[in-house]
Formats: sequence, C-alpha cells, structure tokens
Amino acid sequence: MTASSKIAFEKLVRPHFDRLYSLAWRLAGQKAEAEDLFQELLVKSYGKLDDLVKIDEPESWLSRMMYNLFIDERRRFARRRMHTVEEGEMTGDGIAGLPGPDDPAWDHERLERMKRLDTALSKLSEEHRLIVLLHDTEGYKLAEIQELIGIPIGTVKSRLHRARSRLREILIEDGTFS
Amino acid sequence: MKNNDIDIIADKQDQHDPELRALLKDYPMPKASAGYFDQALVRATHEGSRRQRNRWIMTGFGSAVAAGLVLWMVGGFLLTATPDLPVADPTIPGITMTLEEPRTINLVFASAEPLEFATLTVQLPDGIEIPGFPGQREVTWQTSLRAGKNLLPLKLIATSPLGGEVYATLRHDTRSRTFQLRVDVS
Repeated sequence: MTASSKIAFEKLVRPHFDRLYSLAWRLAGQKAEAEDLFQELLVKSYGKLDDLVKIDEPESWLSRMMYNLFIDERRRFARRRMHTVEEGEMTGDGIAGLPGPDDPAWDHERLERMKRLDTALSKLSEEHRLIVLLHDTEGYKLAEIQELIGIPIGTVKSRLHRARSRLREILIEDGTFS
Repeated sequence: MKNNDIDIIADKQDQHDPELRALLKDYPMPKASAGYFDQALVRATHEGSRRQRNRWIMTGFGSAVAAGLVLWMVGGFLLTATPDLPVADPTIPGITMTLEEPRTINLVFASAEPLEFATLTVQLPDGIEIPGFPGQREVTWQTSLRAGKNLLPLKLIATSPLGGEVYATLRHDTRSRTFQLRVDVS
C-alpha cells in the first residue's frame, strides 16, 4: 500500500465516520466493543480498497460490511449488558453520551428518563432493539435497514411495529408512560 | 412504492405514539473522543498493510524465563522503522496457562532513544483478563520508555478454557509495534 492509497482510502471513508461510529455503537452496545468493531471495519475495508473505489455508495457498503463483521464475530463483540441489568446498574450505551452532573447542561430528569429507556431497550430482543434504534433514533429508512440486515422490508416493518409496542409496554410497566 | 412512502406508512402505523418516538429520538449517541478517528485511520492503514503483506510486524521471539515469558523487541529501529521492515519471524510465541492461575508475561521493549508519552494497548481474547480489569477486552495506558531495554511485566489470568491471542501494541506518535502472543489454557 502506498501513501496515495492511504489518501484515497481516507477520502472515501472519512465522510461516513460519524454514521458508521453510531452504527458500531448501536450494534455493539458499549464503547470498547464499538470502537473495536469500527477499527476492524477500517482495517478490513482498507484491505479491499480496490473494491471500495468502485462502489457508488460507500456508506451502504461499509455499513453492510460492519454488520457482517458484527454477526461473524458476535461473540467477540457481544454486548455485555445483561449482567448490568441484573445488578441494577445502568451503564448503557446511550446514556454515556449525556452530560454529567458537573456539566452546565446536566438535566437530571432527562437522565432518569434515558436510564429507563436504556433499561427498556435492554429488555427487547436483539433484533427488535437494533431496528427500533436504527429507525427511530438514528433515522435510517426502512429500505436502508432492509439492505443492512438482509431481511424483507415487510419483516423490517413488522419487527419495528412489534419493537415499539413492546417498548411502550415496558415503559408503562416502569411508570415512564401512563 | 418509494422508500419514503414506505416509511411514512410505517410511521402512520405508530402515529398514536408520538411520546415514544420523541423519547427514542432523544436517546443520545456518545461522540467519539477527540482524535479518535485520526488514530483509527492510522491504525487501520498500518494494520491493513501489515495483513496484506502477511507478515508480522513483530520482530521478536518468545522464550520462557522464570515464571513468565519474555517477548523481545530487538533492534534499535523500534518505532522508527518504515513499513518495509525485514521479513519477520512468522512464529507466534505461545504460552500455556492454568485456569484461574495468574501468570506474568514480561514484555521487553528496546528503544534507541527515550520516548515520552507512548501508549501501550493490550487486547485480550474472551476468557483472558488482566487482574483488576474484569471483563475488559482492551486496556490502554500511557508509559515512557528509556533508551535501551524496558521491561514491562503484564499479569494475565485465564477465566475460561477458551484461550486465544493477546496483542500488545506500543504506540508513539503515529508509529506502532505489535506483539502477538498465543495463549492456550489447560
């Protein structure tokens, strides 16, 4: 690989970093695993630079590669949140992005709401949690999810609907919603 | 039917639930730390090149010493070499650990000059841990190297019989060297 290869690679992938980083978080669930997954994606895709330069939509291609990496190495990137739920500790993925008590933007009420959402999401099946996060939080289109996960769009829609219904049930049970 | 239309229909199915949608929309996304993307790119191009060449960056070898194992990084070119290193010894050093019994691995880094603010990252397979960091698959800390040989004792413990490969990567600026160690558990 030459210096020009590195420049070409960076030019192709950097515009998609934020979205790919988010996807890694939503898939892996925690920082170390997410960054491991993100890093592995870059290493693997750099090795396929010849293919990457021919792709019209690098982001879809890279997202799909990341998803496949995650599935292939699920054990390695496995979420380790079950034990935290059992222990009653909320160290979930999303709330890590909230301001802390020393931050001027600290919002205790919002943090509590997000903790409950985090717990509720952890009670969904993996496939439901992922779809609802990708669609309702990250703003993925149904067709994008279909392409990413490789399931029919009807299945994506039904999973999304069931995921939302189940999520609401859980949030009613814990008193977040009335 | 266009993709947007499909999404609109899916949204209408749940339009009675704006409260839930608003909550999910608000679910935060942690940002990458400053410089993370730059570092990830550098690591990827280094590692990608290394894998492509199908040879190990590691120029060391392992030898059992006392209770541990010493991995040597020989030569004064540590952290100053170009990617075109001499062909490396493809042998991956390995050790056998006993389940739940700590064992110390001594990493030896040789540097031609003192290095401040180098970082050492240890990546662990499932079932191999550093005592005090339960469940962590990657541990990074900062260190300084003096000129000559630097010995870093690394204590490991096997919590499952799976075994796997441990990677220890020393980085300074944009340069890095990676040790690889095969761990079997008896």
